[in-house]
Amino acid sequence: MTTQFPWLTTLILFPLLASLAIPFLPDKYGKTVRSYALGVGLTEFTLIIYTFWKHYTLGDSGFQLVENYAWIPQIGLNWSLAVDGLSMPLVILTGLVTTLAIFASWKITYRPRLFYFLMLTMYSAQIGVFVAQDLLLFFLMWELELVPVYLLIATWGGQRRQYAATKFILYTAIASVFILVAALAMAFYGDTVTFNMQELGMKDYSLSFELLMYAAFLIAFGVKLPIFPLHTWLPDAHSEAPAPVSMILAGVLLKMAGYALIRINIEMLSNAHVYFAPVLAVLGAVSVVYASLTAFAQTNLKRRLAYSSIAHMGFVLIGISAFTELGLSGAVLQMVSHGLIAATLFFLAGVAYDRTHTLMMDEMGGMAKQMPTVFALFTAGSMASLALPGMSGFVSEISVFLGFATSDAYSTPFKVAIVSLAAIGVILSSIYLLSMLRTVFYGEENAELVSHVTLTDAQPREAFIALCLLIPIIGIGVYPKLATQTYDAKTVEVAAQVRQVLPVLAEQPLDQFKRSVIASPAIGDSKNLISAAN
Amino acid sequence: MIELLSQTSWWVPAYGLVGAVITLPWSIGLVRRTGSRPAAYLNILMTVLALIHSSLLLWAVWDAPPERLLIPWLHAPGLDIWLTLLTSRISVGGTVIITALSLLAQVFALGYMEKDWALARFFGLMGIFEAAMSGIVLSDSLFMSYALLEVLTLSTYLLVGFWYAQPLVVTAARDAFLTKRVGDLLLLMGVVTLSSIAGSLDFTHLALWAQTAQLSPLVANLLGLALLAGPVGKCAQFPLNLWLDEAMEGPNPASILRNSVVVGCGAYVLIALQPVLALSPLALTTLTVLGALTAIGASLVAIAQIDIKRALSHSTSAYLGLVFLAVGMQQDEVALLLLFVHGLAKALLFMSTGSIILTTSTQDLTEMGGLASRMPATTTAYIVGALASIGLLPLGNFMAMVEWAEAAWVVAPWLMGVLVAVNGLTAFNLVRVFGLVFWGKPQAKTRRAPEVGWLMAVPMITLMIFNLLAPFILEKFQMLPNWNDPNRGLVLVLICSSLVGCGLGAWLYLSPEKPKLVGAIATPLREVLADDFKMNRLYQFSVVFAVLLGSRLAAWFDRYIVDGLVNFVGVASIFSGETLKYTISGQSRHYLLTLFIGILLSITVLSWTLWEWSPTLHSLALRAQP
Repeated sequence: MTTQFPWLTTLILFPLLASLAIPFLPDKYGKTVRSYALGVGLTEFTLIIYTFWKHYTLGDSGFQLVENYAWIPQIGLNWSLAVDGLSMPLVILTGLVTTLAIFASWKITYRPRLFYFLMLTMYSAQIGVFVAQDLLLFFLMWELELVPVYLLIATWGGQRRQYAATKFILYTAIASVFILVAALAMAFYGDTVTFNMQELGMKDYSLSFELLMYAAFLIAFGVKLPIFPLHTWLPDAHSEAPAPVSMILAGVLLKMAGYALIRINIEMLSNAHVYFAPVLAVLGAVSVVYASLTAFAQTNLKRRLAYSSIAHMGFVLIGISAFTELGLSGAVLQMVSHGLIAATLFFLAGVAYDRTHTLMMDEMGGMAKQMPTVFALFTAGSMASLALPGMSGFVSEISVFLGFATSDAYSTPFKVAIVSLAAIGVILSSIYLLSMLRTVFYGEENAELVSHVTLTDAQPREAFIALCLLIPIIGIGVYPKLATQTYDAKTVEVAAQVRQVLPVLAEQPLDQFKRSVIASPAIGDSKNLISAAN
Repeated sequence: MIELLSQTSWWVPAYGLVGAVITLPWSIGLVRRTGSRPAAYLNILMTVLALIHSSLLLWAVWDAPPERLLIPWLHAPGLDIWLTLLTSRISVGGTVIITALSLLAQVFALGYMEKDWALARFFGLMGIFEAAMSGIVLSDSLFMSYALLEVLTLSTYLLVGFWYAQPLVVTAARDAFLTKRVGDLLLLMGVVTLSSIAGSLDFTHLALWAQTAQLSPLVANLLGLALLAGPVGKCAQFPLNLWLDEAMEGPNPASILRNSVVVGCGAYVLIALQPVLALSPLALTTLTVLGALTAIGASLVAIAQIDIKRALSHSTSAYLGLVFLAVGMQQDEVALLLLFVHGLAKALLFMSTGSIILTTSTQDLTEMGGLASRMPATTTAYIVGALASIGLLPLGNFMAMVEWAEAAWVVAPWLMGVLVAVNGLTAFNLVRVFGLVFWGKPQAKTRRAPEVGWLMAVPMITLMIFNLLAPFILEKFQMLPNWNDPNRGLVLVLICSSLVGCGLGAWLYLSPEKPKLVGAIATPLREVLADDFKMNRLYQFSVVFAVLLGSRLAAWFDRYIVDGLVNFVGVASIFSGETLKYTISGQSRHYLLTLFIGILLSITVLSWTLWEWSPTLHSLALRAQP
């Protein structure tokens, strides 16, 4: 494998290197740069597809396209990359959303060079996060992606951009400290020092150490995912960021946290996961209901969508806490599906903003008359978001529901409570999304709005971008195997791994942690589980 | 040939979907030159194909045993979801009815929507409507039925919201979606529960499973109620009924389908679920109570309406209540029969209504009158539809009601009261509408009222003939098992109730000098009825209020507590930094002193905490050793 062409390295480095040329491009009116950036994005996306098409075997649960080079041997940092079923769909999602985001920023006129430079850097860093197999490298990539986001929000954002950007960077930087400290602690645990994720996963940690590490990672990724109550950076950042950046923020960056939760917390710390899973389920359900309720109270279009993102990411948490293949598969699918849906909705919100120059929904109204295409696309996006059958959101959310309901790790009342809370969240999602459509599009035109702006319908470019996102949404919804086959083998393996430790650990008398960590309901039937396992 | 036909049964729903897709170039404005007519023609062509295919299929499966067609859908490990199609006499018969009515409604729409600029979009939506409905009747999988019910919810939302710039449409579309969605999601909870306890979601399997299932009463009751909720929403039963009359803001051709077959789809799923519902006595009781309440309540509400479409749509709820009662009595055949004949009659009534609305440009009953001589075809259609709706002449509903009554007489005689009330009140209501619309003196809007064009008249007359032929169809397809020896007493009661209803209606609304009985009824009562028992208000003060309050609270909490804490930390650090800068004196001995005190304090704190915590840490470490 090592003699092979280093595809993944190419994928990471290509946008980064290409972005270095941007300052030297001859460009007077900011038009060459955007074509150049779009070209790079498209090439990268084509490369991603080509790489996976040619060199990736579906149905193989192991790592593929493995590359391993010593980078800085003194500190044990290796440039080690690989993809498996978990990262591959997310890399494709990254390619699609980022490329479309570059296309969506066609109208950026303020300092376009810097803008596209940052976008391309971010492109690299995102892919790096998903393919890094070295914890330190993962951390570096994670950090590398923060800086462009900060600058993009702080420079091209809305009125409160400074506040939002600072909040974003503070939150995520503090969270990153937890990643770094935990990574170091894990690396130096035991006899060998290593940052390699697989080797770290093999290490035999003591349970209390594992629990501590798990908690640290959970805080770090909980900020990013986000989980209530660590979420308040998100509505500010998403609503202040320019539309293309919001697309990437909601479409890809949140998924990094979900990915990392599965990759690090579950795969490497599966013993601790058994104890934390009920907490995750509760946090997930609380996030779903809380964020849905809060979303309904928002009058700012993008803030409403931002809270809806929080709610939808709650399903990821519920899914990964289910201890079933189906739940985990639903969680991964929810990440992919929400990536597409959130990108669509944020993009369309940007389209509306371009016309109206406001994001306050009560200042819009009756826009369907002048903008029927945008209205249709918005409706389609909302329907996908509220989990209508035939759209990808439905498949992922029902997988999470079914996966959690069929889980044998929880007592029935607990399952009923979580599933009902999540269902309330789904009902609320249709309430706030329909009310959004109603206030923005239905009814009489807002006389004041049309008096000072012209509402032109979607340009072909805009319709194209939205359709590029909607077609996969419907495709996955109608025939879910399109997406599930890319990661099935992997999620089965991960679920098997956590299920293996489930009965063993449930028996261990860890009263202290049981009392403090697992509040009450979970792992109730440990005796039955043990007997079932025997 | 037969094999081929039943293997291709999934084509029947596919036609509608294809129709919907091929209208896209017109509905999104890619093709402008031709106008949107070709899209409509293509859609109608697809429906014709679906009708032909399903008729052939019906002929093929008539004597054949039911056959299942499995399509793998979600192949997740631990759970396989199949989309199962069942081709049996009943299911294929259902598709024939649906495609036929859809065809008639679409031809009708060609005339009705002639001048609408978004004709293509309308036909596309009708295609989805038709596809979802044929899918539901063919489906043998609860999962697939659930998904298709949701698609129906969506297409209802889009069809009701078709004229999205109208003020009333705004709330109507939303209410239609939300009430149905609540029902659907409760149904989904039932589906999720069933999938974890029953193993498979195929109706055939579920029926077998239910015979031997041992569930605790709590689980069985919750499950039953959840499964019930979906059909309650879809069939516009109390308390999820408020959408149907608001949905009348949508275009009329869609209302034809909505009041006949779409509501029927919910009942169809209910019938398929009946074995599982039977596990829970509470669910069956709820079913009966809701059905009875809706049947009588909606009949009363219908009488108080002055919107012609609403007056008829409430009676749809009432008839579906009767269907619910039939399911509650475990009389599936009667329920199906009633669905069929009611669908035929109601579709005809709505076609007639559509003609009236198009010609007079109003839906207000008080603005009409004297149309009988001006629109003969429409009038005849209305009369036939009305007669077919009530138990008077041996037309469709008469037969079904007799069957219903015989079943009820055995199980629970008090249900006869419900039937008599619904029949009498409906008869009264239909005569009332007839009197206001067709009888009396013409008013401003009905003075110049020519009969509608042939595009609308032909489907109307066709359906009228079908209604007249309904008894023969039923006879031919042997759908009347007990017809040879009807219980004469029950038949007599039924006819009497119709006669009383008609007579009262005629006395009040057909005589030239109307007795002012309307004024005699207390205003509050009339208002309560006209306002659908203030159902809207009830929701306003319960669900809507709770959601609003909850969201305000959550938003407040988010803004001032969660985010407030964050901002407080930020402000506090800035403030402390700003304050501390005034302590800078520039004298190095002060710095030294500060440093010294700081180090001393930290050492004290650290050593003290370590001292306090070390036993805990120690024991932790010990414990952690394997």
